[in-house]
Amino acid sequence: MTHPTLATQDSGRWVHDLPVSLGDYREMLLANLIMIGEIPAPAFDEAARIEFVKQRFTECGLQKVSSDSAGNGLAVLPGQNGGRSILLTAHTDTPFPDTVAHTLTVSSDRVTGPGVADNSLGLAALTTLPTILEGLGLGFTHDLVFMADTRSLGKGNLEGLRSFLTRADIPILAGLTIEGVQLGRLDYISLATLGGEIACVTDTTNGTANADTIAALNQIITRLRNIPMPGEPLTRLVLGSIAGGTSYKSPAHSATLRFQLRGESDTVVDGIAEEILTICEEVATDLELGVNFDVIARTRAGGLSPGHPLVQNALAVQESLGINTLAPAHSSAASVFLEGGLPSLTVGVSRGENRGGVNEYVDIKPTLKGLAQVIGILRAIDGGCCGED
Amino acid sequence: MAKIDEWLNNNTFHYGQFWDIKRLINTKEKRNIKVSLCIPTLNEELTIAKEVVLFKSELVDRYPLLDEIAVIDSGSTDRTLEVAESFGADVYLSSDILPHQGTRRGKGENLWKAIHQLSGDIIVYVDADIKNIHPRFVYGLVAPLIYRPEIHYVKAFYDRTLADETGIRPSGGGRVTEILVRPLFSLFFPELAALIQPLSGEYAVRRHVLERIPFPIGYGVETSHLIDVYSEWGLEAFGQTDLDRRVHRHQPTRELGKMSFGILHAFLTRLRSRGITGEMPPLTPILRQFQVNEGKYEQVVYELPEEERPPMIDIPEYRERFGANDN
Repeated sequence: MTHPTLATQDSGRWVHDLPVSLGDYREMLLANLIMIGEIPAPAFDEAARIEFVKQRFTECGLQKVSSDSAGNGLAVLPGQNGGRSILLTAHTDTPFPDTVAHTLTVSSDRVTGPGVADNSLGLAALTTLPTILEGLGLGFTHDLVFMADTRSLGKGNLEGLRSFLTRADIPILAGLTIEGVQLGRLDYISLATLGGEIACVTDTTNGTANADTIAALNQIITRLRNIPMPGEPLTRLVLGSIAGGTSYKSPAHSATLRFQLRGESDTVVDGIAEEILTICEEVATDLELGVNFDVIARTRAGGLSPGHPLVQNALAVQESLGINTLAPAHSSAASVFLEGGLPSLTVGVSRGENRGGVNEYVDIKPTLKGLAQVIGILRAIDGGCCGED
Repeated sequence: MAKIDEWLNNNTFHYGQFWDIKRLINTKEKRNIKVSLCIPTLNEELTIAKEVVLFKSELVDRYPLLDEIAVIDSGSTDRTLEVAESFGADVYLSSDILPHQGTRRGKGENLWKAIHQLSGDIIVYVDADIKNIHPRFVYGLVAPLIYRPEIHYVKAFYDRTLADETGIRPSGGGRVTEILVRPLFSLFFPELAALIQPLSGEYAVRRHVLERIPFPIGYGVETSHLIDVYSEWGLEAFGQTDLDRRVHRHQPTRELGKMSFGILHAFLTRLRSRGITGEMPPLTPILRQFQVNEGKYEQVVYELPEEERPPMIDIPEYRERFGANDN
């Protein structure tokens, strides 16, 4: 079999014209976005949202609609020849607890609400795609596995995706991860990242009960900022959030810092993590309080090369659609695929802003190009750009 | 009041009973019923898109329960009509419908004109300001009419409180319902007190009922419907469906005063026409409220004409369009 690339003229023209054909599915995508986005789905509590997605998978005639032990929602669109499957994923969880009002608003050009970009739109695209493929009469050689994966964010640490790739007995050819934003992203590399949490707590076991945990955390932060971060390989420390205490007039009995260490080298990141552990132990001893350092998420460095046929075909798809490809960023999902030796890409469906806020929004107009891009890349993978069985 | 208990048992539904929409559509097609959705609007640019998108995608394209979606507008000054049309709704200015009948300002006017403009055998009305809109707001109301030919008018109600440890929970309406409407019904039409939320803006009704009742143009329209339908067809003609939860704008107390004024107008007019009360002085259209302005008390006067549109069956253009006869 030849390996048709979408850089060829015919394929490029087909992809270029695809958004027009997708116009009929705009309301369906938005309706799925509204209904998905209004079901709260904090990490580890995504069951209701998964049930809805599985119901949609059933309604559009997918096979083997099911959940696995990690709670992922799964379904299969059988290909003509079977063999290895193409895994299409979108993470189900959002950073918002169910106490936040999950009410979306729709204007003529955007949809606004908590989690709408990360990742309700990505999940809505995954949910709408089977209907679109059927409507367009598009068949595939390989099986397409649709997966709404769970426990992706924060302490979830991509557990759903990792669990599936570790345990599933389905041979996978490649993975395509759909995120709500940003259109134009084409992520195929994975950085070494370490998400950490340092908690200072009053230690009452020795009777001294030093309660000034905020001062202790301040000392730790000062020392973390003094750790030299190499420029080559590039390494950064991001202090993401702090919390502590209950009142302005009482010493805090607990204080917590969350941070991320990211870089191009696993060795360097591991070495800095050792330094952080030492700092925590020293502060705990000096100030006579408890300091706990937990690693809550970890990804490994690696990924595809820019010249990989999957990357090249995806670039051609984006170019055909007039999508401005953004500078490659790292994808934590790519790290999990990499652990399984699988090529993967992460793409975004639309443009949007205010991620993580209740006023998070996505633009409606670019979504048709975003969907067309996903279909174009799927066809490239199906056509053989990631090799054959 | 055994009749009320029986009615509550037989004619009170939960939308979850109608989850099988394919079955519902099969029955609709077998019975050759057309269903129209009417969304009355006035400056609803912020919420209308979501309603139209959801209803069109889910209940026209995916499950063809609705035969038309129409937005009937009182003259919005924002982009309500443009937005609704861009997502696939049929949009109409109320003043363009039955132009020879003139134009009145009020939600009831839009509901009345919808009977002429829309073609369905069932018309379902849904307010445009619902933030948590969902397909259940339509299929939960339409389903009892499709499955139960003896039911003509289905009202929505919404559960507002969680059960306490006794398992008993008060299930009721808003402030105007509990302070004004339910006490009035209890006094004069006790069976109607069984409607849990008589003022909800979501209901589905058969055309042959809608065309035979008058429409107050203002706040009294829901109350008058209940009394008029009850008087003609009895409690058995009603159903009510629990739609779980409705998130919408909170009305300030002063607005509730205007609402109560319109309701009382419609109510007292019906008491008088049925001979339940004796002679009453003419009902004034003037509502007086009061406020303090820079330390001085002053009255705020609202003129709220509670005019009523006649039954649509009496309008010649309607009779011509729908071939209506006197039977």
